[in-house]
Amino acid sequence: MSIATTKVAPTSKTWRRIRIGEWLLLYALSIFGALLIAGTLVEATGGDWLPVLSALLDGSVRRPGRWGETLGVAGPLLLVALGTVVSSKAGLVNIGQEGQLLFGAAVATYFSFLIGGPGPLNVVLILLFGAIGGAAWAGIAAGLLYWRGVPEVLSTLLLVTVSTQTVAYGMRWEWLLLAPQSSRGNRNQVSEQLASNNRLPRPEIFGNEFPLTVYIGLVLALLLAFGLGRTVWGLRLRLLGHNPRAAKRCGVSEKTFGVGALMISGGFAGLAGGAMLAGGGFSFGNYQFMSGFSDNIGWTGLLVALVARERVLLAVPIAFVFACLRTGSSFVGSTGVEGRITDVIQGLLVLALLIPPAVMLLRNIRRAKAAATVRV
Amino acid sequence: MTDSIGTGGGKPPPVPAVELAGITKRFGAVVACEGVDMVFHRGQIHGILGENGAGKSTLMKILIGLVLPDEGRIVVDGAERRIHDPLVAADLGIGMVHQHFSLVEALSVWENVALGEKGTLDPGAVRERIEEIGEQYGLAIDPDARVGDLPAGLRQRVEIIKCLRRDPQIVIFDEPTSVLTPEESEQLFSSLRNVVAAEGRAVALVSHKLDEMLSAADEISIMRQGRVVDRQVPSETNARKLARSMVGRDVLLRSERAALGLVGGDEQGHKDMGSPGSRGPDSQHPTLRIEEAVARGPGGTKILDGLTIELHRGTIVGLAGVEGNGQRPLGDLLSSLLPLESGRVEVDGNAVPAGRPGAMARAGIGVIPEDRHDSGVVLEMTVAENLVITNPYYVTRRSLIDSKRLAAFAREIIEEFDIQCDGPAAPMWSLSGGNQQRVVLARELMQNPKVLVAAQPTRGLDVVAIEYMSNRLRTAAEEGVAILLISSELEEILDLSNRIVVLRGGRVAGEMSRSEASLENLGLLMGGSTG
Amino acid sequence: MSSFPQAVYDIFTSNSTYINAALFGGLLAFAATGEWVAERAGTLNISVEAMLLAGAFTSAVGYDLTDSVVVALVAGILGGMLVAAIQAEMSHRLSADQFVVGLTLNILIFGLTGFLDREIDPATKTAARWTVPILNKVPLIGKALFSQPWPFYLLYVLIPLSWWLVYRTRWGLELRASGENPQSADVSGIDVNRRRRQAVYYAGLTSGLGGAFLIFVQVGRFDDSIVGGRGFIAIAAVIFGGWTLRGTILGCVVFAAALSFRLSIQGLGYQVNSELLQALPFLVTILGMALFAHRVRPPAALARPFVRGLR
Repeated sequence: MSIATTKVAPTSKTWRRIRIGEWLLLYALSIFGALLIAGTLVEATGGDWLPVLSALLDGSVRRPGRWGETLGVAGPLLLVALGTVVSSKAGLVNIGQEGQLLFGAAVATYFSFLIGGPGPLNVVLILLFGAIGGAAWAGIAAGLLYWRGVPEVLSTLLLVTVSTQTVAYGMRWEWLLLAPQSSRGNRNQVSEQLASNNRLPRPEIFGNEFPLTVYIGLVLALLLAFGLGRTVWGLRLRLLGHNPRAAKRCGVSEKTFGVGALMISGGFAGLAGGAMLAGGGFSFGNYQFMSGFSDNIGWTGLLVALVARERVLLAVPIAFVFACLRTGSSFVGSTGVEGRITDVIQGLLVLALLIPPAVMLLRNIRRAKAAATVRV
Repeated sequence: MTDSIGTGGGKPPPVPAVELAGITKRFGAVVACEGVDMVFHRGQIHGILGENGAGKSTLMKILIGLVLPDEGRIVVDGAERRIHDPLVAADLGIGMVHQHFSLVEALSVWENVALGEKGTLDPGAVRERIEEIGEQYGLAIDPDARVGDLPAGLRQRVEIIKCLRRDPQIVIFDEPTSVLTPEESEQLFSSLRNVVAAEGRAVALVSHKLDEMLSAADEISIMRQGRVVDRQVPSETNARKLARSMVGRDVLLRSERAALGLVGGDEQGHKDMGSPGSRGPDSQHPTLRIEEAVARGPGGTKILDGLTIELHRGTIVGLAGVEGNGQRPLGDLLSSLLPLESGRVEVDGNAVPAGRPGAMARAGIGVIPEDRHDSGVVLEMTVAENLVITNPYYVTRRSLIDSKRLAAFAREIIEEFDIQCDGPAAPMWSLSGGNQQRVVLARELMQNPKVLVAAQPTRGLDVVAIEYMSNRLRTAAEEGVAILLISSELEEILDLSNRIVVLRGGRVAGEMSRSEASLENLGLLMGGSTG
Repeated sequence: MSSFPQAVYDIFTSNSTYINAALFGGLLAFAATGEWVAERAGTLNISVEAMLLAGAFTSAVGYDLTDSVVVALVAGILGGMLVAAIQAEMSHRLSADQFVVGLTLNILIFGLTGFLDREIDPATKTAARWTVPILNKVPLIGKALFSQPWPFYLLYVLIPLSWWLVYRTRWGLELRASGENPQSADVSGIDVNRRRRQAVYYAGLTSGLGGAFLIFVQVGRFDDSIVGGRGFIAIAAVIFGGWTLRGTILGCVVFAAALSFRLSIQGLGYQVNSELLQALPFLVTILGMALFAHRVRPPAALARPFVRGLR
């Protein structure tokens, strides 16, 4: 998915500083533009933009306990994004994270009621089953790609709906995912709630609590960044992504690595699903699986990776920003403005974030007479 | 130049079709063209001779509107023009026959020919025109065939028809004969003669082949390192003089020997002197043996059809042949990129599975691929990384890449092979073609291969680089490596090989030792239909 | 409740099954036809959902303001093309990633139409029904195909028109070249990204119209849930159809039939595996791709952005 970026000749330090300044300015302008449009929309429909902004800030970080909630949302987003980076580096386009996450969470739910053993082990197993579920779902697309030549961009996309429906089916039967009548209360499609010793700990820091998922995500991010850059595996993966034929010559089997990368990608998404289940919180159904569980985290996580241009370390802050929008949006409703405005804001922001690289690229193409890759 | 013979008075010299004055183009630090002056007259074939990298392609791209010059003027039929787009060039009547870069495989011949024009689409008219042109120039083809199903030779026909369809006044042929047999080339050039004479067109023929220039062109501009260094008329020159101009110093042994070889074809004397591979072949057992290899291409046609070939250590076997006769598949086979339908590959007597990733490399077969961008280098990675992709374990410690060792390793190689770059961390795309080729060479030699496949190893290189590469190959052979040299340059083959094998139709058409080889018997073996 | 085979027979012989199928299929056909054009040009436009939704909303607003169905349809087209403008310009002029843009548009437009709907709440109705004489008497499918609110008949123009545009005009030839081999097309003097943008705009046009169709032929009022994933089914239809228009329309028909069947059989009180039926279009498409991988080829440059090297 990476675009051919035009390379400009190495520059001196001042030149570089100016260019960083240009970038910052472009980003500032774009983001401001997006917010301006959103604000205008609010005003035009009779609302006030200042309370909306304030509500967003309140909901995401300002009010007590909120930034913990935000981190709690950021965790799964980061995990999905990390997985997306892995498949992208291998040159694959995985856009089925939503389905992989959901399936992983479903598998995790199913097995959570089968396993016994001490608490911490259970939690680990739940997460593991989530990852396995997600990896298996992505594995379908991988198999289709390498044994039948079906483009993964298409199969992963189509599999999202298949996943939703498969899981919905599972939610209808008590022997699969549905909670027995007695524990369901008056809700129709929920699973049993996870036993309290099957839950991810939610350590509290300065009055904010958020599940261990966040730490897991950060650790995995560091591991992945290291792995991609410094291990033989990472070298081979990147080789495959850049030049599959050279990779084959060097002994990198497209099948093995490609299937592996796609499944790892799905595994991260499934892990996110499992973590959402075991990490609980009101953002994610309070330890119960239900229809619509994935709640667009998969799509958003994919967006995070794309916006971060597949850079592992950049995905961390960007996941946080997207999480802020989600948690902030729940406070917007109380200002009298329709809560949907946050979808609009998120959409505009992402588009805004896409503009600076595009503008710079165009300018480089027009300006640069530097060493360019003209492969004809 | 071929102006009127100054008999005084009379008509002024005819306005040239195209005049290039002071054309300069730089790509960053690399000067592709500098102060190029050139004139193309109507009714003449103007040859532009130069090694790859001399600037001919860039110059033509400027003329056709794909590249903008930094300085200089283009004058078409007496009027100065600015050609900033291929469409502008087309409007001015400038057409170029590309090398396979303008065909869409999924579409039919007539659709491809119609592509890029303006106005309502009229399939009937296009088909008619294709038949007309086909008859007129001897380029028959089925308008409804799917281009993707056509072999290389026929695809070129489509390219030519596509160009001629617009009735261009100035036609540029860019290395047109790389996929044609010698006979087909002759046919092509005689058609060109008709094109030029009857309709007063100007033709620019870009090539690096001396013999082509001598037989086809009316006048020749020789380019070297972006400049026009000489102008000659075929009737007043010969291959050696041309070679000398191309090369610029008296002489790289290769060009002169090759030039001599071409002109005479059977000079016995020099062949034993310093002939490549001073150690005789070790006929005990072959280092590499390919037996009855059969492979099919995407369309189902056989791209290797019972190929059998043997290589012994310390020898250089030159594989001659017109492009499209199995050279690429052979290179792919030995790069683990092509599975076989039947047949075997053996290294030192041990079978190597074809098509299994990395198997050939592990068996000790090094490859300098024909297109380094295709399977040789990774442009986005650094020089250091490119040097270790075949075997990272040189620089690892417990499966982790040790960055210090990597850098040190890379620096050693950069030094030894004199690779011009900004250091081990320089991105591969910042290196010139010649240096990229050195990286490939270095990497392959570092593995101490048993067999080294060099496919078109000096294509696109400047003279110094060619000399370097040739010497390295000779040295490697002397040290016992079995070398398979695949080249469409007969000069190169004649220069370096102990034995010559001719490839045609995916199999061996004939073999001979260097001393038995001549242009005639090689040409005969190479000939035969390719399409 | 009658026996299952009896129920199935009843469904297949009832007019309403076919009418429903025609309505579902009509929507899919509007979206899928445009998406087919877009994908033939090499773009993978996943903002079809957004285009449908935008078209539906703007057409509703258009009607609300003018009480004219014609104006509403035009407004719907404009709405779809507005979304297309963002998708096209950002992906194929500014070289942004088309998946990011597409996904974002889906979210953005969903939020935007939901938001505006609360504020504006346009009032709409279904359009007047036109009946084609004689043809509408054909058993079973007659009413479905020839006795519908009049915007339905636009399909009979749109589909052949699209076919003609792609296969018989120079524009279509250049579009197909851009989707198969953009490098060659570029060297031949074709502005690849321009053709791709135009293809996306075309998709916006048809999908915008499709959104209007939803309001004025099928549902009768706007609600942000009326599209409900049909955009993705339309994408599946294009793939199912092997990137031919015939196949795409066939896909629309098959998928619509499944939807209609589900509706009918549930209406008769049967509990069928509704999840299976809902997943069916996607499963069938995946299966089709897997089984016919060698015969069904996407446009070679599908979903790959084109950036010309430096001049």
